[in-house]
Amino acid sequence: MIVYEVVVSESEYKLLELMRDKGFREGSIEDASRVLGVDVSTLASLVMLLKDKGLVDVEERRLKRLVLTEKGLDVLSRGLPEERLLAIISESGGLVDIGRVNDVLGSEASIAIGQAKRRGLIEVSRGYIKLSVGLDKARASLESLKSALESCGRGVYPEFHVLKEFKDRGLVREVEEKVVYLKIPEDPGEMLKRVKVEISKINSEILKKGLWKRFKLRAYNVAAEPPKVYPARLHFLQEFIEMVRDIMKEMGFVEVIGPLVEVELFNFDLLFQAQDHPAREIHDSLWVKAEPVDIEALYGDLVARVARVHEENWGYKWSPKIASRLMLRSQTTAVSSRIISTRPKPPIRIFTLGRVYRHDVVDATHLPEFHQLDGIEGYHGYTFRDLLGTLKEISERLNLHVKFKPAYFPFTEPSVEGYVKLPNGRWLELYGAGLFRPEVLEMAGVNYPVGAWGFGIERLAAAYYGIEDIRILYAGDVRYITEFKARS
Amino acid sequence: MPVLRFKPSRLYELTGLDLEELRELLFRLKCEIEEVEGYVNVEINADRPDMFIGEGLARAVKGLLGVEGGWAKPKLVDSGATLKVESVPTRPYIVGAVVYNVNIDSSDYLEELIQFQEKLHEGLGRRRRKAAIGIHDLEKLPSKTLIYTMKNIDETFKPLNYDKPVKIREVLENDEKGKLYGSISLLDGEHPAIVSGGEIITIPPVLNSDITRLEVGTKHLFIDVTGTDLKTVSLVLNVLVSGLLERGNTALGLVKVESPWNGFYPKFEPKTLKVKPEEVNSILGSSFSPEELASIMVKMRYNVRLEEGSLIVEVPPYRVDVSKSVDLAEDVAICYGYEELGPKSSWSVMRGRLHSITELSRIIRTIMIGLGFTEVKLLSLTSPHIVKVLGLETASVEVLNPVQVEYSVLRPSMATSLLQTLKSNLHNPKPIKIFEIGPVVYRINDSVVDEEVLGLAIMDEEVGYEEIQAPVYSLLRILDFKFKVSSAKLPFLVEGRTAEIIIDSKRVGYMGEVQPEILEKLGLEYPVALAEISLSKLLNVTSKDYS
Repeated sequence: MIVYEVVVSESEYKLLELMRDKGFREGSIEDASRVLGVDVSTLASLVMLLKDKGLVDVEERRLKRLVLTEKGLDVLSRGLPEERLLAIISESGGLVDIGRVNDVLGSEASIAIGQAKRRGLIEVSRGYIKLSVGLDKARASLESLKSALESCGRGVYPEFHVLKEFKDRGLVREVEEKVVYLKIPEDPGEMLKRVKVEISKINSEILKKGLWKRFKLRAYNVAAEPPKVYPARLHFLQEFIEMVRDIMKEMGFVEVIGPLVEVELFNFDLLFQAQDHPAREIHDSLWVKAEPVDIEALYGDLVARVARVHEENWGYKWSPKIASRLMLRSQTTAVSSRIISTRPKPPIRIFTLGRVYRHDVVDATHLPEFHQLDGIEGYHGYTFRDLLGTLKEISERLNLHVKFKPAYFPFTEPSVEGYVKLPNGRWLELYGAGLFRPEVLEMAGVNYPVGAWGFGIERLAAAYYGIEDIRILYAGDVRYITEFKARS
Repeated sequence: MPVLRFKPSRLYELTGLDLEELRELLFRLKCEIEEVEGYVNVEINADRPDMFIGEGLARAVKGLLGVEGGWAKPKLVDSGATLKVESVPTRPYIVGAVVYNVNIDSSDYLEELIQFQEKLHEGLGRRRRKAAIGIHDLEKLPSKTLIYTMKNIDETFKPLNYDKPVKIREVLENDEKGKLYGSISLLDGEHPAIVSGGEIITIPPVLNSDITRLEVGTKHLFIDVTGTDLKTVSLVLNVLVSGLLERGNTALGLVKVESPWNGFYPKFEPKTLKVKPEEVNSILGSSFSPEELASIMVKMRYNVRLEEGSLIVEVPPYRVDVSKSVDLAEDVAICYGYEELGPKSSWSVMRGRLHSITELSRIIRTIMIGLGFTEVKLLSLTSPHIVKVLGLETASVEVLNPVQVEYSVLRPSMATSLLQTLKSNLHNPKPIKIFEIGPVVYRINDSVVDEEVLGLAIMDEEVGYEEIQAPVYSLLRILDFKFKVSSAKLPFLVEGRTAEIIIDSKRVGYMGEVQPEILEKLGLEYPVALAEISLSKLLNVTSKDYS
């Protein structure tokens, strides 16, 4: 004997259990629905699944069914004509004139008399009707007939001769219907023993009760597309910034921070930018509506040195008023200049990474605000070649091969720019750098050489991530951020 | 950086190099080349105005190539011209020069000469305020005695390219150049002018007269430079003259200036710097011998001699950028090549450290993503509209000269950025949970403060105080802060559902539900709860050192 395992779903299993408990073996689907207490549509879909597994036979059958005619329904509500006849006879004291019966029953009189006679309930002689059996007996006989008719209304077939009578009297008729007919070929109790239930998810209750032995986990289409999930993510630009900070830390640099709203003194004057230099004009930087800072009170000695060095070298009257105006720092070198003005003890390796502001219209390569990395390094004996070495080290840690180009900045000499070739063939200016000019060191009061550099972060990050339009770095679409492709 | 336009044919005639060779050499001279519509655009750094004309560019290139070296003093003659200076209070200084045999032989050269003049105006001349140049055809000067004076603006002259004389006033008011530069030196209805033989030949810094106009065929040039600083006007004259003198058989004619700074101009004398070879080597980290340094410097067009172990360097008068030994050191590095000089890696061990704000941010960022908030990053410049809607305008700091109104105020609170971000995420599935760590800038009394803060927000079909309170509590407890929370009022949060967060009796942040009318004004159709915590203040109230 071949023992095979049939796998059913939980609801299929429950249906089989019901069939076993209610003793259902065969019948139309409507019968089953009534017996099992399951609605027809649920039942139909489950039965079709069970049929595919060979557990239920399903066929379509044509079945005859009894229905009451209008006349039959009338009889059920008003009683049989012969019942009414009996009532008349009984009222008349056991004997009644036919003429009177005809008066009361009208067109039904002959049917009532004929049927009652045929059933042997009355006798008719010389124009009079009388009972031939006792009244009670006669009534009981008619009651049983009426209840047979009632059963016909529920589809239950009576004995053949009764059916024939009902048909003859036009009380019932048969109609033919298509029905889904179910048959359970095997005892449901036996069947359940060889069936395993398939479930889609295992849960704690199943494990706790040890029910898993009876269950089989349904196989999935493992290649089907799952629902989309979106993790919370760190922002890719911030991640790039943190990577740059790590590089600087690994190279032995100490991070500092400085104010975003800065006096011109540190953003320009200490960096040897003449007060009438075009870079200080209104269309290059952003100023804020705020009271100027009293720089002479705060940085007296420094201000005096700055005034002297500017006047000696640029040949103009240096104005502390201009130097004390508040602006949005246009370069993080403003932080470096603040730091060297504190005359840190060499050797120094210091960096800052933060936002700077420019008088620029937003487009694919410009933002009014972006991040810069600024670093300074210095000690007695520090040279331009040491600076080039540091710059090379930083770019190599960023995995970039950089070409040095001589450059000009008002506050450094010698000056250098680093250019890197992008995959699209364009050259990107990676940084500007140089040794602080002697005038800058003199103003700050530092007596050892200091190298300084500034990297623009956004353009570099855009190149790193292969982004063409730097505005994307600040687009706040959460979906874009969460779906952003990781790169090493 | 200034961009100069040259005809390729001119560059080839002057250097004998094709464009690719030129590109290579000019890269080393801080320049970049681009071909645009039949011209070569050369980006030249502002510190080398002497290269703003073909001959100047070629002079530097030929030095670098080793074809020519050093610097030769020009032939000096007395031009016989005299500049008599009267009181010109708005631009008191004037100097002049004559250059013989410049020979404007083509319109290409004339175009380049005018470009040279314009670029000097922009940079060294500070858009003609500090110095402005007039170039004249010497032979067309009505008289070699010139008077620099103030003229009433109702006087007339025939401006360049005009067909009849007009009043100075009309030029200042209607001419394109007049509108740009007419107000610089105007004072009480009077304007500076140079008069020659009774004729106004220029009204500096605006426009020359048509009388002395330059054209193809002009041979000798008279040049005036006026301005507000004698050193600058003299420098500008030297740079201009040096470029003209490079043409063939030229000579420099001196002009007598009768003024408090009496004398003959230009003062076309080299500056002499004395520099020790060790000094250059110690700046660069190189080990050149004195002789090597001397030969490199000659290539960079200096005259050099060795004297008792020092280099005596004659800096040509057109090198406005060279004043100290570092400047010479840079030229040595440029000539030798930065790549050839080579980076030095002498890594001494030093201990790096991140700022405590950075370290604290990093801890918070990992907790925030754990709490299901995605990090966003926005500009700190924002629009005054949202600041006003949130009722934060009194604390906010405005930009004096904004470019675009959307970026004309600094965010005084992270709430502006968070709500703007939520607005641009309405189409995304809810809930939206975001955070940013970044600067806010605000005003306290008369001073401006910036602070690093954490802002976090939740937008959902249904969201309330508790939803923002829970992550804030979780975060602060992980960070090990003992905090108190008490009911507070904020202009944009719902009263009774707003709290301030207090540590050591200092307010470090707030949290709450955004008022429905604010949401409506911003077009946000979902409720929002948000919180803000100052990292700067957290660091002030803790003894922990995160770095």
